[in-house]
Amino acid sequence: MTRYFQNIWETITTLLTGFGITWVHMMKIKKNNVTLQYPEEKWPRPERNIGFNHDDYNVIRSRLTVDINDCIGCLKCMRACPVGCIHIDTVKADVRGEDIQEVGHVGITSNGSKKAMVVTRFDIDMTECCYCNLCTFPCPEECIFMTGGPNADRHHIDYEFSEYDRSDLIYRFAKKGTQEKMTEIKAPKEPKVKA
Amino acid sequence: MGVIHGEEMVLNIGPQHPSTHGVLRLKVKTDGEVVSDIYPVIGYLHRSFEKHCENVTYEQVVPYTDRCDYIASMNNNLGYAVTVEELMGIEVPEKVEYIRIIVAEFNRIASHLLALGTYGLDVGAFTPFLYMFRDRERILDMFEMVCGARLLYNYIWVGGVSHDLPKGFVETAYQFLDYFEPQVTEYNNLLTYNKIFVERTADVGVLPPDVAINYGVTGPNLRASGVKWDIRKDEPYSIYDKFDFDVPVGQGELGTIGDCWDRYWVRMREIEESVKILRQALKGLPKDGDVHQAIPKKIRPPKGSIYKRTESPRGDLAYYITSDGKPKPYRLKMRSPAFTSLSVLNKISKGWMLSDVIAILGSLDIVLGEIDR
Repeated sequence: MTRYFQNIWETITTLLTGFGITWVHMMKIKKNNVTLQYPEEKWPRPERNIGFNHDDYNVIRSRLTVDINDCIGCLKCMRACPVGCIHIDTVKADVRGEDIQEVGHVGITSNGSKKAMVVTRFDIDMTECCYCNLCTFPCPEECIFMTGGPNADRHHIDYEFSEYDRSDLIYRFAKKGTQEKMTEIKAPKEPKVKA
Repeated sequence: MGVIHGEEMVLNIGPQHPSTHGVLRLKVKTDGEVVSDIYPVIGYLHRSFEKHCENVTYEQVVPYTDRCDYIASMNNNLGYAVTVEELMGIEVPEKVEYIRIIVAEFNRIASHLLALGTYGLDVGAFTPFLYMFRDRERILDMFEMVCGARLLYNYIWVGGVSHDLPKGFVETAYQFLDYFEPQVTEYNNLLTYNKIFVERTADVGVLPPDVAINYGVTGPNLRASGVKWDIRKDEPYSIYDKFDFDVPVGQGELGTIGDCWDRYWVRMREIEESVKILRQALKGLPKDGDVHQAIPKKIRPPKGSIYKRTESPRGDLAYYITSDGKPKPYRLKMRSPAFTSLSVLNKISKGWMLSDVIAILGSLDIVLGEIDR
């Protein structure tokens, strides 16, 4: 019989202890509010006060992007990718380090290396990307990177890139029409046979 | 008066059920409300991790290990990195070792917070879940600061880590620890000693130590049965031998040794031990050092094989790697602790009510990503 009342007593006291904690938190909810109203309020906010700035991040795993003018077509990122979501095609340039006006090819990178290859196709399928960041490390020209964070001066942060069509998530970084124009340029000039 | 047995009924729990912590299906044979047999059906999340690893290089395996135990990716990365390093004979700089310990222990806290929070949810307490997720969020924020990702980090590489700790990390970590330590008392008042919670968990689903050892159960589930076995202490890897911490074991304070409450309580005390390790590691963290220094240009381990185990938040996580001298592993086997923990479910939940099965399953803290791999 004592056990019965003791059980009831313990239930009530432990419940009230719990309610007390919730009550205290409810009283100071304005100060301790951790929920963000997402579309109106966006993370990161400086007043959230976790103790670090946006610039202090090592990297932010947002969207991959490529500065195609700096790409030398070394295929290192393609080989590093564990899921194979990067597809690159290259054509050998006639003269190393020279601009090709027709396709908008820039011969020399911002680091000063002369390009031997013309990148005709540089597709990243973001539906397959696993955001492991392995492709950005081997790049000798640092032209493939994640947007935002420390790279914010090169590309603003972009993590809201949902689309209605899956094919819209395949990002094509090579300049438009490079493939066709390069085959035209490269094609051996045969004398036209009159019909 | 004899017991009247009714017709037995087979009940399906899952694969889409919030209490199964993932895509797990339980075929439960019930006699009235009493469970007479459980048959867990696994494989809904199978991604053929081991076969995949044979087709990618050693560096590229790391993102796949993330996706096994996705609650504690850092510990999975650490286990893999330590194994390959031992196979190749790589000496890692001291700074890297400290960083690894720091992130691994933070991830252990985060993982246990998730386990305890969802366990409260399983037995009907919603508030502690929100409180624990609030604090877990701050750990994930710190990880995002370190490596840019919140869940699948790909941070610990073979021979090093991907990034150095950013400036301001150590201060943030100390701030978090100062904030977090009193919170444990709050959790205890809120959930641990709550009479309703104790009634649901104490004396329920007792796992005797001999059964636990026979089934190969490891980690907090084994320690809750009173067996003092922690790889960090008994077979130290990395630099765990430098730190001073206790191994909490179940003592049956409110019930029998090895009941659901003990499994819960061991995790809660392990959080406190992790805080202890973190304070020592943050204090001893070397100021300078290159985290990329020991990363090999080409990872080509010599011919041979290795089996190395580490202590993940779920228990004894081990990798078996066979190398034939090529840049891709010839064979990679992962021993996952949650798999063995799940295997004991049938043994310990026979004769309990259906609602107790949910409590027992939650206390085992399984992650289906790791069971199915």
